[in-house]
Amino acid sequence: MNGSALLASLVLAYAGMLGFCLGKERHWKQLVNPSVPVLLRRLCVPVGALLLGLAVYTATRVWPGGMALVGWFGLISLAGFALLLLIPYAPRVATGLPVVGGMVWAGWVLI
Amino acid sequence: MKQKTVTQSMSWLHTWCGLLLGWVLFAIFLTGTLAVFDKEISWWMQPELTDQAQSPAAAANVAQRWLMARHADESNWNISLPTERSPDLGVSVGERRRGGGGTHLDPLTGEPIEARETIGGNFFFHFHYTLHMPRLLGVWVVGFAAMAMLVALISGIVIHKKIFKEFFTFRPAKGQRSWLDGHNASAVLLLPFHLMITYTGLVIFFLIYMPAAVDALYDGDRQAYFRDAQPARAAEQSQREQQAPQGGQAARGEQSGRGEQASRGEGRSKPVASPSAPLLPLGEIVSRAEKHYGAGMIGGLAVSNPGRANAEVTARPVLGNRMELTKGEGMVFNGVTGELIRAPEPSRTSQLTQRVMAGLHFAQFGGYPMRWLYFICGLVSCAMIATGLVLYTVKQRKQTKANQAFLRFVESTNVAIVAGLSLACVALLWSNRLLPAELASRQDWELRLFFGIWALSWLHAWVRKPLSAWREQLSGAAVLALTLPVLDLMTTNTSLDGIRLPVLASVFAMGLLAGWTAWKIPTIVAARKARQPRLDRPVPGVSS
Repeated sequence: MNGSALLASLVLAYAGMLGFCLGKERHWKQLVNPSVPVLLRRLCVPVGALLLGLAVYTATRVWPGGMALVGWFGLISLAGFALLLLIPYAPRVATGLPVVGGMVWAGWVLI
Repeated sequence: MKQKTVTQSMSWLHTWCGLLLGWVLFAIFLTGTLAVFDKEISWWMQPELTDQAQSPAAAANVAQRWLMARHADESNWNISLPTERSPDLGVSVGERRRGGGGTHLDPLTGEPIEARETIGGNFFFHFHYTLHMPRLLGVWVVGFAAMAMLVALISGIVIHKKIFKEFFTFRPAKGQRSWLDGHNASAVLLLPFHLMITYTGLVIFFLIYMPAAVDALYDGDRQAYFRDAQPARAAEQSQREQQAPQGGQAARGEQSGRGEQASRGEGRSKPVASPSAPLLPLGEIVSRAEKHYGAGMIGGLAVSNPGRANAEVTARPVLGNRMELTKGEGMVFNGVTGELIRAPEPSRTSQLTQRVMAGLHFAQFGGYPMRWLYFICGLVSCAMIATGLVLYTVKQRKQTKANQAFLRFVESTNVAIVAGLSLACVALLWSNRLLPAELASRQDWELRLFFGIWALSWLHAWVRKPLSAWREQLSGAAVLALTLPVLDLMTTNTSLDGIRLPVLASVFAMGLLAGWTAWKIPTIVAARKARQPRLDRPVPGVSS
């Protein structure tokens, strides 16, 4: 089983869902520092879509063929659900998680 | 105006479908979620067995030596080989279905092991689709509930006005608002899973639920359909039935008696037995089958006429090297020469479609990561149903015109279904460790305890006020789950292996979840009091 690809898929799925989430005005105001230019908000949805697309690719490195698609759906659903729970209880963790996850993944791949 | 009417009627449909069948659905979803790890739970429930890390091929040889010494004259041997999920070597003889009883052997030495009788994780699997009723009745009830689930899902989408706007919205500690948010979010974010698992669940029993197309096409002759769908297996079966009219039904598609020679040599009562010939080492056959299916993918062997010239060995794969559900498939080898007699035939398109859908439901593919995804998705489904059930009572409590007797009934049933069933499931694990290992008809006692405790939870939910009942039963489940590792240490002396430890850790984690929920209940009561300083009327059975 390809552990690093699985972690990468999970991080990408979460980051992608976070992108879609921040694209909404309500959550942007809730989670992002007001000093950040609002123009960036418009980028969130396309970037999120891109990341979810990358998650499909990494999922194909974990599972073969159609299984990857099933796994991808599961990953993005659960990542979205985790994000939903993190927003009210730990908003900083919610936005910081992809960075931490990305670093853990990079560490895994390098070591 | 017209739009509003549609929403209202859909809302009515959603409420009643969801409420009345939601109780059944919660039980189905919870046991189905646990059944994702059925083999692991079974393994935990037989602590006498140990993982010897023996290769399947070597274990097959060990089983062969044991069977040769004791059952050389039997016509059928069945061997279940150690696999990743269940490192147990089991043997049985005769026309027994795979997995049913038999003897456990030490995979290294071949010594028989006395393992306790248990209903195992299999119980959750069977309960999931029969609700412990007679099979056909249960399948129909579960099918009806699944249809109601589809209706609730579709009507739920129609009445949810802000699917995209509130995609990530969850506002905790706001009473009804929070329950609705939680219900909506768990439904919407996992909608692909909910739809998939419900629809594919119905597809598994397509011949029971929707036989009309097959009956029309084949003029009511199911056997004709069977012959067309699986020509090779149908041919075997008809040959077998000609030779042995009684035996065919029980062994249908399961094992033994393949090909013309097999039926001749079947059983000791046959007039002409084939001349004796040495059986090839079974490990050799396992290795050959592994070349086709992959290492570690052979779950069992069925040997017919061992020690005879017409011996045949069927190697059965564990499910899971692809999405398609290939139950009953196998490679048939000549038991003396080892030559391949029959390889599995690829499914036809329509059959493949059905099997892939069934495979999607059974979740045997993709290894442990996929299993965990299904398990957590299943838990969220349970939460979705439970929040919906609670939401009904939260809404009704505010209505002055609500039927109090019915509300009381709904509240106590909710407790008994959601908290009571969870409690009964943990109690089943406890009873497995507490009942004496050598007790006669032990499985029945485990069942009695499970259903007894569930019945008691019903009584308790009826006697106590709803919020106290919730808190007490959830605390009970939490305490049992959190102390299960201690009980395990005290009652067994086997070391925790890579299967039992995750089972215990998962139970512990779910205990934390139940405990946290129980812990939060007083806060909910306080918050509700703060929000509603004056009530127009006292609400019976509620502590606010």
